[in-house]
Amino acid sequence: MTHIIETKKLCKTFSGNGVQQHVLRNVDLKIYDGDFTIIMGASGAGKSTLLYSLSGMDKPTLGQVLFDGTDITKMTPDQLSVFRRKNCGFVFQQIYLIDSMSILDNVLAAGLLTNKNRSEVVEKAKRILKSVDIEEVLWDKFPTQISGGEAQRVGIARALINNPKMVFADEPTGALNSKTGKDVLDALTEFNNRGQSIVMVTHDITSARRGNRVLYVKDGEIAGVCELGKYETGDKARHQKLNDFLAEMGW
Amino acid sequence: MGRKFMLAKSNFRKNRGTSAGLFLLMTICTMLISLVLLMYFDAYGAIAKRAVDLNAGDGVFFVGGTEEDIEDYKNYLISGDASEAESHKYVQFNNFSIEFGNGKLSPSVIFTDTSRFDTVLNKVEVVVADDSVTSDYIYLPYQFLTGGGYALGDTITFEILGESYTWNIKGFIDTTYFGSSNGGAFEFILDDETYDDLYLTAGDANCCYIVCFKLENGIKASKFILNSSNNYMEDHPTVRMSCQSVDEAISSKSFMTLILVVAFLIVNLIIILVVALMLSNTISNYIKENMKSIGALKAIGYSGSDIRQSLMILFGGLALLGSVVGSGLAYCLMPFLKSIVVGQSGILYNPSFRAYSVIVPLILVTLFVILVTAFSSRKIGKIEPIVALRDDTPSHSFKRNRVRLDKTNLNLNLSFALKTLFTNTKQNLITFLVTGLLVFVCIIGLLLFENFYRNPSIGILSFEVFGGIITVDPSTADETEEYLKTRTDITNLRYYNVLNLTYNNEDRLNCNVFDDFSLMNNQDVCYEGRLPEYDNEVAVSGKFAKDYGFEVGDEVLLTCGDKSYNYLITGFVQTCNNFGREAAMTTSAAEHISALSENDTMLCFDCADKEVCQNVIDDCTELYGEHIMSTINFYETIDGNMTIFKSIAMTLLVMVCIISAVVIMLILFLYIKALLYNKRRDYGISKALGYTSRDLILQTALSFMPSIVLAVIVSSVLSYLYVNPFLSLALLSFGLMKSSFTVPLGGVVIVGAGMIVISFVFAILGAAKIKNIEAYKMLVAE
Repeated sequence: MTHIIETKKLCKTFSGNGVQQHVLRNVDLKIYDGDFTIIMGASGAGKSTLLYSLSGMDKPTLGQVLFDGTDITKMTPDQLSVFRRKNCGFVFQQIYLIDSMSILDNVLAAGLLTNKNRSEVVEKAKRILKSVDIEEVLWDKFPTQISGGEAQRVGIARALINNPKMVFADEPTGALNSKTGKDVLDALTEFNNRGQSIVMVTHDITSARRGNRVLYVKDGEIAGVCELGKYETGDKARHQKLNDFLAEMGW
Repeated sequence: MGRKFMLAKSNFRKNRGTSAGLFLLMTICTMLISLVLLMYFDAYGAIAKRAVDLNAGDGVFFVGGTEEDIEDYKNYLISGDASEAESHKYVQFNNFSIEFGNGKLSPSVIFTDTSRFDTVLNKVEVVVADDSVTSDYIYLPYQFLTGGGYALGDTITFEILGESYTWNIKGFIDTTYFGSSNGGAFEFILDDETYDDLYLTAGDANCCYIVCFKLENGIKASKFILNSSNNYMEDHPTVRMSCQSVDEAISSKSFMTLILVVAFLIVNLIIILVVALMLSNTISNYIKENMKSIGALKAIGYSGSDIRQSLMILFGGLALLGSVVGSGLAYCLMPFLKSIVVGQSGILYNPSFRAYSVIVPLILVTLFVILVTAFSSRKIGKIEPIVALRDDTPSHSFKRNRVRLDKTNLNLNLSFALKTLFTNTKQNLITFLVTGLLVFVCIIGLLLFENFYRNPSIGILSFEVFGGIITVDPSTADETEEYLKTRTDITNLRYYNVLNLTYNNEDRLNCNVFDDFSLMNNQDVCYEGRLPEYDNEVAVSGKFAKDYGFEVGDEVLLTCGDKSYNYLITGFVQTCNNFGREAAMTTSAAEHISALSENDTMLCFDCADKEVCQNVIDDCTELYGEHIMSTINFYETIDGNMTIFKSIAMTLLVMVCIISAVVIMLILFLYIKALLYNKRRDYGISKALGYTSRDLILQTALSFMPSIVLAVIVSSVLSYLYVNPFLSLALLSFGLMKSSFTVPLGGVVIVGAGMIVISFVFAILGAAKIKNIEAYKMLVAE
């Protein structure tokens, strides 16, 4: 399997009031093409910091992040922005749609960054919105006028509009109820099945089952990796394997 | 009180940038109020005070005649309402050519000897002198040092009646009536020996007396001057006489100081408006941004009025501090403005500390700021703590999705900018209003620069525009005219004369007399009706007509000496000369009340440039020698007269441009700062999606540009069309009834384009902070 992301001795340290906190310590890992990679760990273990370091949203203190062979830690903020628009899609726990823009505009705001053919982007946005079950009647509404589940599915549509090499999802179901959370996970699984690579941070075991590979972060290090294989509904052996892995990790 | 101070301190810490911006605005505001007060009361007051110090009395008469005539006249004055009268003898020349500044002046000049220092009324005072100069010396008015380009130890050469006189400059004097180019007359004091020589050359024909008088308390000088001169002229019709009140002397010296005061006042009003708008916007933002904190404060027992008072303490404190700094800055600027005051008035003036210039702005600005704060923060009182703690106030209007990305053909950054603009309507409206006003002020500055500096509009300052004037005695008038007619380098040769008229013993008019007004170059001088054609017609100044309720078509009885005639008013004229007291009539009309043929003849002509004019003057002087009473090379006179006007026009333009740039910078800084705070989440999301800092900075800067561009266009067009009517109102008191200044279209475009470019640069710089914030941090700042 080919990997998209590789980290070498990745470190992240926060300093303040004379105190240093090492959040990531010499992390070496690879994220593979087509995988649905899950990052798990206890609160404060460094999951989100790792996710944002991998995606170029946050600068690591030391080490390298090689994305398709390019070290993104050497990039300037503006180069990172261009890198993100071409290679990354983001799904956030807080959803982060732009409140002053309509649903359709939120998706187009990302799509039009990489494709100047407006009609093509509009068509694609509408297609993706439909594929995440956002009906046409909602397209002209504003984020605060739709439900959390709908908003998160719009977030997924926005993340996918540029055919990113990697979608980074930070606890995408964290702010949703179980029903709408499931819809969101179904959507992500569906796109992964179509070949979309995804890295998702979660501390929810139900969400983690959707991944085919689970990385467990503990005290800023990758404490263990669990290969689960493709997600299938009701695969009890797979569920058990994950449970055993998490138990071994001290979950 | 302690807890309110504590809150105020905390608010200051949270809003350092905004507080600094508002502090700067308040500082500029106070500085301008302080400058207005200093210029009006200290500088203008100093001019009036100097007149008192020099015991200038209430006015002076220029009287020709014998010593006995003058004694008669003094007795006549004392027997009337004058309590004191004193005369002094001079040699007088009219239209005397003097090198001044960058050109020449053609004022009346009076020479006298050192006995002038002994006069009790209308004293002169030596400002600076070089005691090592002991012979062939001259004392010049102080304005020659401050604005004329002369210095102690220099020599000055005058051509007088065909002879060349050179004097060493011994000193500079302060004199009330004859010390400023705006007054139209200069006084020179010579050493006794050379004065005697000059007197012998000039003869009794050029001799005159200046009679200075002081009135009994409560008597108005203008009325007294008219009555006494008219009554005296009736008995002594051959006596030459003119007059000037002390108020006129002070006004002529302070003309430009008052224009500066008016200009500062206009700019100040705009800044006050800006302070009010920005303060109100800052408070509205404060409420929006601190809704939860307000809720928490109320929940723990703070009242709405506690929170409002803490804001009043904060902004009132800033205003107080800004007032002190602003007043200090005003004093720092005063030496520069002093040079304008001194250069123009020719008085010895040193700005002094005036407590009112600190206290008045301090009280005004602080009270104003506290009132605006109290008014803008009244919403705080109505906020329910529980609602504030939830902070569920909708931040956007969802009525309409403006600039739909799926429909618009605009560039992506521009689309985002427009979206921001529509969510920021109030701020953009204020930016529109303020930018429009600033453009208007800049265009006024530009107009003054164009009309007083670049292409001086002489027609506003002078009744007629000539190439040159040659004044000859009556015996040589025909011969000189015939000679001038033979010259091919001059055109439009015409007679010109000036009469002093009075109206109803109440007012005076300076009457310009021509054979044929259709030959005049400055036809614009008549702004309503027409110039006179027949011998029963007169055109009077609009200001005079307005003061006495005359309309075109009315009759007016005008008097010159002992003769009066009823004239038909055919039109209204205007210049800034003689405080708007001007008239015009044909030679045939003037002959009803004055024997013009007995006067010296002024022959005016047009020519290509100052060299040609000088050739004509030199040739005539060579041909007719002592018969030439005076000459004026108008081109050089313009340069000389405009020296002071030019420096003021330039100062004003530079000041309004700097102030406008600072104000627009502060507005954009404050608004963009608030915008960055309010939209920090959106910026974070956009950065995460892949928008670069450059994109976001551009979007932010562009979001303010439509209102700025629109304001520039609207204000430029309106200013272009209406700046003249506006100035007519402002300059009414100077006699300008219908302003027709040239508004340079190119300059307007440059001002507009400059404003747009500067605003864009400031907006980009203001939004540049986006660069320093990482997407991740912006998201986690939620």
